[in-house]
Amino acid sequence: MQRAFSTLKRLLSIQIRSQLQYPLSFIMDVIGNALILGFYFIAFTFALSQFEGISGWTLGEVAFIWGITEFSFGVMDMLFSGFDYDSFGPVIRKGRFDQMLLRPVNITLQVLGSRFVLRRLGKVLEGLLIFIFGLSQLDIHWTLIKILYVPVLSISQVLFFGSLFIIGATTTFWTMERLEILNIFTYGGSEIMSYPMHIFPRPIRLIFTFLVPAIFLSYFPAVFILGKSDPLHAPKFVSFIAPLVAVLMMFLALRFWHYGIRNYQSTGS
Amino acid sequence: MKPIIQVNNLRKTFKIYHNHKGFFGAIRNLFDRKYDLIHAVDNISFEVYPGELVGYIGPNGAGKSTTIKMLTGLLVPTNGEINVNGYLPWKERKDYVKDIGAVFGQRTTLWWDLPLTDSFDLLKHIYDIPHDVFQKNFHLFNEILGLDEFIRTPVRSLSLGQRMRADLCAALLHNPSLVFLDEPTIGLDVVAKQRIRDFIQFINQEKGTTILLTTHDLSDVAKLCERVMIIDHGKILFDGNLNSLLQEFGGSRQLSVEFTEFYPQPLLTNAAIIQRNGNKVVYSFEREVVSASNLINELSDHYRIKDLEVRDQPIEDTIRRIYEDRLLYN
Repeated sequence: MQRAFSTLKRLLSIQIRSQLQYPLSFIMDVIGNALILGFYFIAFTFALSQFEGISGWTLGEVAFIWGITEFSFGVMDMLFSGFDYDSFGPVIRKGRFDQMLLRPVNITLQVLGSRFVLRRLGKVLEGLLIFIFGLSQLDIHWTLIKILYVPVLSISQVLFFGSLFIIGATTTFWTMERLEILNIFTYGGSEIMSYPMHIFPRPIRLIFTFLVPAIFLSYFPAVFILGKSDPLHAPKFVSFIAPLVAVLMMFLALRFWHYGIRNYQSTGS
Repeated sequence: MKPIIQVNNLRKTFKIYHNHKGFFGAIRNLFDRKYDLIHAVDNISFEVYPGELVGYIGPNGAGKSTTIKMLTGLLVPTNGEINVNGYLPWKERKDYVKDIGAVFGQRTTLWWDLPLTDSFDLLKHIYDIPHDVFQKNFHLFNEILGLDEFIRTPVRSLSLGQRMRADLCAALLHNPSLVFLDEPTIGLDVVAKQRIRDFIQFINQEKGTTILLTTHDLSDVAKLCERVMIIDHGKILFDGNLNSLLQEFGGSRQLSVEFTEFYPQPLLTNAAIIQRNGNKVVYSFEREVVSASNLINELSDHYRIKDLEVRDQPIEDTIRRIYEDRLLYN
């Protein structure tokens, strides 16, 4: 296992080195990316300033979940780049997956190591800035549990989004057609998680509770950390099950992934 | 001796789906897809013993690649048993692939953006190759393959011939006991081909590496392999000595003669004239009926000969005859 991780480290360092060949252009790229993404939030703040927050949530509170969700998604998008449909599709089509299967290294780690898009730091940076902005606007009653729960929540979100990426990549074993519907859950999921979820109509909320349990990874934990009242009247413990949900999702995604590999049919000759 | 590859009643069936077209078609595809069953490999059995260099040939779509992919653990068989080196390839993948090598002529197994030397370093790490073994092998292979001139070039900038040499080296650095070579000479010129054949022969003879060689190029097989397996439509048509194959299916041989003067009817008892052009005459004869030396004796007894040449049917023609006539089907 230790060997496998040192291999992963090598594979990643190759990726990073090649992407840092032109450091200045890289830094500009990251900052530019952060700004472009950030404008979206700035527009949102102007819109929101016309109202008294949304459904009882202030701008700072929305910035809090928006920021942490963007941050986590950015980190995930970097770590799990190899499972991104746009890069894993060609890996299958060009037969590079065959090469990976011929190496005596854990296949999941090889896919993780096959791509690492450092540019996603732009999104990470943007998320971080919005999160900090949120904190500056808020007067949270911090306790030790809340302080510890913030990083745990972010890691859980990374795992959660990562599991959705893995599920998306796995579908390529059966169909080369892009399944747009899966984007509703990954990218759509991250959008929805950026808002307090009680504002959405019931059908959408139900989808993102029972089909893709996104609500446990942003709204309910935020209700606890920010000390909000919950108009959905969910039991208190659901605020704390984010890590459990994330680990379960990742477990199921990896099961599906291995099932997919068993059914892999390789390509041409 | 125990076989290194043992295959029993191996079969791989693919489902070929017929997709519905368009947006609604795509949705329909999720629930209702019609398919055909294709037996890419249909109930084959064979054994390969340590140290053998076996040619595995067949036309396009015959099932060669599918067999290799099952043997290397890339594909899970539909039925049948495979045992290679004591492993069940697809199930014990990670342990199994430590002791095999594979080269797929159509695509590289190296890292596209890395200079060759970095790729080799990475392989050294991945296969946990001891430093001295790595050095020794690299120098040895480099001598035959001549990798020095492009060792710092990224793989994506290599020519096909260079890339193939690099891939061969990469597949053998960790001293695998068994190597699968799938079309290692495809698209190469004569010189590059020869270099690669020399290397394959060297590895087999000096290192005793077992090699299963898939190829379209029958001259590869003729030059390298004593044993040949022919597959077509997923079935093995022939498995045995290349010479006995040629003997049995080599078809007629040709004798072309140039006489010093014009003979209106230079007939021979056991050979037919198939072509004549002035003093030059081409005969055709069957190897089972008469030997070339008997014919030449008969000729020189009756006629005055300036020059002569005996030709076998090219191996390509022999194999094509087997495919086309299904000579080996029962």
